Amino acid sequence: MSAVIFFLAAIGVIAGAIGVVMLRDPFYSVLALVSHLVSLAVLFLLLRAEFVAAVQVVVYAGAVMVLYVFVVAYVGEEAATIGDRLRGASSAVARTRTLAIAIGGCLLAELLVALLGTGLKAIGGYGAPYHSGPKTYGTPAYIGELLLTRFLIAFEIASFLLLVAAVGAVVLARRRGGIGEEPEPHITPLHVFRPLGTGTMAEGVEGRMPAAQAGAGLAAEHEPASKREPEAVR
Amino acid sequence: MALPLAEVGYYEEWWVQILKGIVIFAVALQLVPIVLIAERKLLGRFQGRYGPNRVGPYGMLQPLADIVKLLTKEQFRPTTSAGLLFALAPGISIVTAVAAFAIIPFGDVQHIGGERVGLYGIDVSIGPLYLFAFGAIAFYGIMLGGWASGSKYSFLGAMRAAAQLISYEVSQGLALVGVIFTAQTLSLTGIVHAQGGMWYIVPQFVGFLIFLTASFAETNRAPFDLTEADAELVGGYNTEFGGGRFASYYFAEYLNVLVVSGIVTTVFLGGWLLPFGVHPPGWVDPIVVLVKMGLVTFFFIWVRATLPRLRYDQLMSFGWKVLLPLATLNALVTAVIVVVSHK
Repeated sequence: MSAVIFFLAAIGVIAGAIGVVMLRDPFYSVLALVSHLVSLAVLFLLLRAEFVAAVQVVVYAGAVMVLYVFVVAYVGEEAATIGDRLRGASSAVARTRTLAIAIGGCLLAELLVALLGTGLKAIGGYGAPYHSGPKTYGTPAYIGELLLTRFLIAFEIASFLLLVAAVGAVVLARRRGGIGEEPEPHITPLHVFRPLGTGTMAEGVEGRMPAAQAGAGLAAEHEPASKREPEAVR
Repeated sequence: MALPLAEVGYYEEWWVQILKGIVIFAVALQLVPIVLIAERKLLGRFQGRYGPNRVGPYGMLQPLADIVKLLTKEQFRPTTSAGLLFALAPGISIVTAVAAFAIIPFGDVQHIGGERVGLYGIDVSIGPLYLFAFGAIAFYGIMLGGWASGSKYSFLGAMRAAAQLISYEVSQGLALVGVIFTAQTLSLTGIVHAQGGMWYIVPQFVGFLIFLTASFAETNRAPFDLTEADAELVGGYNTEFGGGRFASYYFAEYLNVLVVSGIVTTVFLGGWLLPFGVHPPGWVDPIVVLVKMGLVTFFFIWVRATLPRLRYDQLMSFGWKVLLPLATLNALVTAVIVVVSHK
């Protein structure tokens, strides 16, 4: 039974990966990537890593890919021409293509080294020992303990990186005039309990929303990238 | 041969598990029309009118008439739609809703005819994460439906859904973190057992409020039903759907309300436990859970009849500026309290 599930999921993984690069319409490419990630989650389940599988679906299929779908659905028509542009014969295109092939080759070699190095060793083994109960291999408690003890520094660096990415996105959006055209809003401690622009009755009736806040709300709607960035941090 | 899929403490025979799968689907299928008629009757009462009262006694057969009407309608689709995805999208919605329903525990492990049977579909060790994983996939049902319709109202509804579901899922997850810290387990039956002393609605009241609020957005219910705001978007993502496909969306929406009610019941309202140390026999457990779920669903309907719909930018700023900081603060405070009290 597990072999059947493995082959179904593996076919899904490979078909999804091929679909990402072969499909012409970027929207379908993104959907292929989603199916690839979900199939990968099934493989994680077969490896008794339910936590990793759930996180895979929640973070990648649920958060990251949603942004991709969002963007591609908005600008999908333009992005469709990228493939056609690369098909041209100018020298710049040829150089880009050579570079792409070289980098792709490097990545392939690196992945093969990593895969063959660990995979060939694992073929003879029996996998992780399996015990039922809490705090055994693959359970959330076990992973959490590892993250906060053995891999603490890596964990902190990764979260710091994501924080930098989020701050960077806000800075970039600000420089392009997306947000921050208006003067900084004056924030008093009261606003912590009742932030402006959250649709309180007083705002609606008295029009208490200052112009700066109203502008910020609208600007944020037009430039949603900065708003949705904290997803990555999650 | 035991499946290694998501270790769930299998002590049940395979046929028990298949039976449970069928029973869960049957229960879900029966509960949805009840919620449908309850909502229409209650909305009528809230608005000072009768509500449906023509089909059957007190109009109780109205959902049946609706379902027959929807299923016998012609299947149409716009010429601009993307065929396969258009047909697939309602299916994704319904499958994820039913799958999420499987983890709601209706009772403790019972001894039925010499077999130990847990009154739930599966008791996954990752508990709420399973729910969020299927919630994440459920988003594609709405998104693909809106996109594949090829109409602008559907597209706007789908885009709103994308931003809304994503931002409220964060708060919803963080609100449960406090509970998980307190219970020290992710298993939903474990969380219910940990509430033996006191239901988590008392120590985790802030988390309860945040979870409930975020759930309104997550299930696209008023006052956060902007993905299908009929005053602005005709019908939002399901504008172009008719007949059985629309029925699928409708079914999924109400089933999601039931799932959220079930999760609120399990996580905050003590699941099958009764207050004041009353320990009824095992067969009472599902009734207790259903009654509590009914109360939460009633609250959902009550809110729909009471509150007006928010504006879209207000919805987003409420999610990010109020709910998310509150949920984070709640998780932090709970973590400190748990560490201090366990010393």
